[in-house]
Amino acid sequence: MASTSTAAVDRLVRLDAPEKPRRRLPFSPWHLFLAPVAVIMLLPLIWMVILSLETSSEAQSFPPVVLPTGLHFHNYVTTWNSEPFGNFFLNSAIYSLTTVASNLLFCSLAGYAFARLKFWGRDVLFIVLLATLMVPFQVLLIPTFLIVKHLGLVDSVGGLIMPNLCSAFGIFMLRQFFRTLPIELEEAARIDGTSRLGILFKIVLPLSLPALATLGIIQFMWSWNDFLWPLIIIDTASHAPLQLGLATLQGAHRSHWNLVMAGTVMSQIPMIVAFLIAQRWFIRSIAFTGIKQ
Amino acid sequence: MLDDVTKVFPGGTVAVDGLSLEIEDGEFMILVGSSGCGKTTALRMVAGLEKPTTGTIRIGERIVNQVSARDRDVAMVFQNYALYPHMTVYRNLAYPLRQQRMPRDAIRRRVQEVAEMLSLETLMNRRPGQLSGGQRQRVAMGRALVREPAVFLLDEPLSNLDARLRVQMRAGLKRLHGRLGVTTVYVTHDQVEAMTLGDRIAVLSEGKLQQLGPPQELYDRPANVFVAGFIGSPPMNLLRGSAHDGRVNAGDLVLERAGLPDGALIVGLRPESLRPAVDGMPSIDFRVDVVEPLGDELIVHGSLPAELIATSSDTDIADGALPVANGTAVEAVARLDPRERPAEGSVIRLGIEPDDIHVFDAQTGVAIR
Amino acid sequence: MTARAEVTRGVDYRRPSLWQRIIASEHLAGWAFVAPAVILIAVFALIPIGWSLLLSFQANNLLAPGHYIGLANYRALSKDPQFRAAIGHTIVYTVIFVPVSVLAALGLAVALNRKLRGIRFYRLAVFIPLVTSTVATGIVFLWLLDPTFGLVNYALHALGLPQQGFLQDPNQALYCIVVMTVWGWLGFDVIVYLAALQGIPQDLLEASEIDGASKWATFRSVVLPLLGPATLFLVVWSTINALQLFDEIYVTTHGGPLGATTVIVYYLYQQAFQFFNAGYGAAIAYVLFVGILIITLFQLWVGRKRVYYVS
Repeated sequence: MASTSTAAVDRLVRLDAPEKPRRRLPFSPWHLFLAPVAVIMLLPLIWMVILSLETSSEAQSFPPVVLPTGLHFHNYVTTWNSEPFGNFFLNSAIYSLTTVASNLLFCSLAGYAFARLKFWGRDVLFIVLLATLMVPFQVLLIPTFLIVKHLGLVDSVGGLIMPNLCSAFGIFMLRQFFRTLPIELEEAARIDGTSRLGILFKIVLPLSLPALATLGIIQFMWSWNDFLWPLIIIDTASHAPLQLGLATLQGAHRSHWNLVMAGTVMSQIPMIVAFLIAQRWFIRSIAFTGIKQ
Repeated sequence: MLDDVTKVFPGGTVAVDGLSLEIEDGEFMILVGSSGCGKTTALRMVAGLEKPTTGTIRIGERIVNQVSARDRDVAMVFQNYALYPHMTVYRNLAYPLRQQRMPRDAIRRRVQEVAEMLSLETLMNRRPGQLSGGQRQRVAMGRALVREPAVFLLDEPLSNLDARLRVQMRAGLKRLHGRLGVTTVYVTHDQVEAMTLGDRIAVLSEGKLQQLGPPQELYDRPANVFVAGFIGSPPMNLLRGSAHDGRVNAGDLVLERAGLPDGALIVGLRPESLRPAVDGMPSIDFRVDVVEPLGDELIVHGSLPAELIATSSDTDIADGALPVANGTAVEAVARLDPRERPAEGSVIRLGIEPDDIHVFDAQTGVAIR
Repeated sequence: MTARAEVTRGVDYRRPSLWQRIIASEHLAGWAFVAPAVILIAVFALIPIGWSLLLSFQANNLLAPGHYIGLANYRALSKDPQFRAAIGHTIVYTVIFVPVSVLAALGLAVALNRKLRGIRFYRLAVFIPLVTSTVATGIVFLWLLDPTFGLVNYALHALGLPQQGFLQDPNQALYCIVVMTVWGWLGFDVIVYLAALQGIPQDLLEASEIDGASKWATFRSVVLPLLGPATLFLVVWSTINALQLFDEIYVTTHGGPLGATTVIVYYLYQQAFQFFNAGYGAAIAYVLFVGILIITLFQLWVGRKRVYYVS
């Protein structure tokens, strides 16, 4: 992580206001390219909303109805009641927040140890942990299922969470970051008698907020949008997290596109809103995964 | 040639203010001044990287305001060299020629020539990341030279080198210019570089031209307090003074000088003009504070019983109000012979020839003959 | 550690007990810190990696413990026409998805890397699909590409072009999946490229301009090579993700029509969790793993020779 890279990400993230350049046309030719692209990118989402407000027959009519006869907001209510949406949201929230918290905690501890402490077997252990990142999840899928089954956590939110409490990715990321901090601060605290745990929590972590935020966001996005693992581990609808619930909804109400879309809109809104609010952090986190290579 | 060029950046910063400058063919012109004085902006406008807000820029007979940088036949050496990191030295040097669609052999010949000129032959296959600062600097120069441009622009090219290399490169640059005779515009904040390299120097402050002339002229006859304080190291001591009836007072210093208007003045004393007082010389007590031996000379910091304006050029005294003097016995600098080393804390009597004194208007800072 | 020793010298210093020394020792601290992470990763990653390998040598139906059958699963895989078809589909998908998404992202990033009025809006429009889930993407495109009432067929109809079967046409389904996944992932590639573009020092672009290069020449000779690391990363990353395609398939086509979109991971899912051939599924997973590893190493090898990293 060279400092130029972080600066570049910051520049990207700031989305600076433009200079007023002089033009021959009333607008820059780039608009002719970017505007259609923006429309194409947003079109599916726009239609999602439009469809969610139509009647079932309108949603399936040809030609497609652009302006529905009425804004059928009650679709949302119907959808909410047809599947345990409240549970979906709750389960996802628990799943995401717990994994974020546990990752931040465990990866900080481990990352700090790998970055600053010398202990027997450290480097070998680090490589082994890193190697687990090379293995695709599908390889782990079946045995993880069996392990969770043995723990008696099948079809529960606990079963969702357990395998995702700590990821080697987070350890790698935080270790790299901690190493960039000036060690003098920690050495001074050590001389003053602070325990290692104290150093981590009182000195290192407060300085690491950007990295922690990045890890938190990445983990949150991943957990919130996770589908495959919930699909495998959850049977009961009321235990399902959001994306699985959405797929269930779609399966159950295949032809009622308006309801399916309403469900889709409801399930995507939290993430989209979070993104719009915390744009900088999201973009920075995503760019980070690219830059760290 | 820049004709009444002004550059205002969005946000209101006036980087360059009504600058008019004519650079002769083959001349080595230096733009000098402290940070933010507009010299780099002026250079970039000549290069075509910035457009002037008002005014025209000419290269030869052509007005080039609307001409893009790539068509202007100028070459530039950037402060950070801006070498293409993914290309070898050879390809870095060849790059401008490839853009001109020169045939391969011609390119090879020209690159070879330039490489020999700058002693780069052994580095041809290396990448910039594998070169030292001095080597990178030479490659940057080479890339500019290889095009044989109409104008050669350099933006503080030596500022990232260590002191010894800088001295070497200075000589190298001067030699190069003597040999090739390309019109050169050179930007620096280091007045030593300015004095040693330039045919003529343009001193800028806050976007305005303070004085233009050959180095010696700037030293002997600075046009205003800013130039006086900027040129010469250690910088000129500037004291508050007054004139009355052909007699000038600056603190305890009293001397005769005819032809000056009565009233408040600023008196400038160059450290090298101050020497141990001899009978008949106007003189002043100098309390020695710190002695810096340099081998062939001695820099002595101390204080004079006078009101001082400043001993450095970082206050804006180019025009307008002058800052209030601070105290009645403040820092001054003198340059003495090391054989006459005074003790720290002692008071010595320093004198100065009346002709060596520079006098400036107390309101405007402009020099008074 | 030396600091501590010096501080304590001269002070009334009682040698700490063995127990106290152990607690203070860095080794213990280090292990204590990494313990939770190590335990979790050992249980949920390391053990499964090994167990998966063992499973692949078993016949197992996830309910009763399995029994060992040696390499029978792998041998069956090598003769399995459905598996071969799955590999084919996955490769076709990957070979189209990766270049399309990387090139499109490059073009978009270049377009978005400028000061323009409304650039914030354009950028957001490109980024937002990234935060939607794969399930949502699948659902929306299922409707958009519906042959009867989907928007795309309507647009074709309005232009006088023939209606298409899209996800219900075995010959078109996979390509439709490409389109929808490109839509969903483009933002990621664009962000990475944008960050890389903005990491190129302004000096270099100016130097190139002064050296007489046209905008296109500058792009080809200076910008593109300096984007090498980002491009390599995106190609490797996209390939790995493409080879693991699953979610969108499940939501839209369930591997159909006529198995046309059954990719490797979907086939694995079917085998392990619908037909309960867990051992077979584990074998598929391992083959996929090895495949990904080989392809990734190959890409990195090619990349190392041709990509220049600015230190």
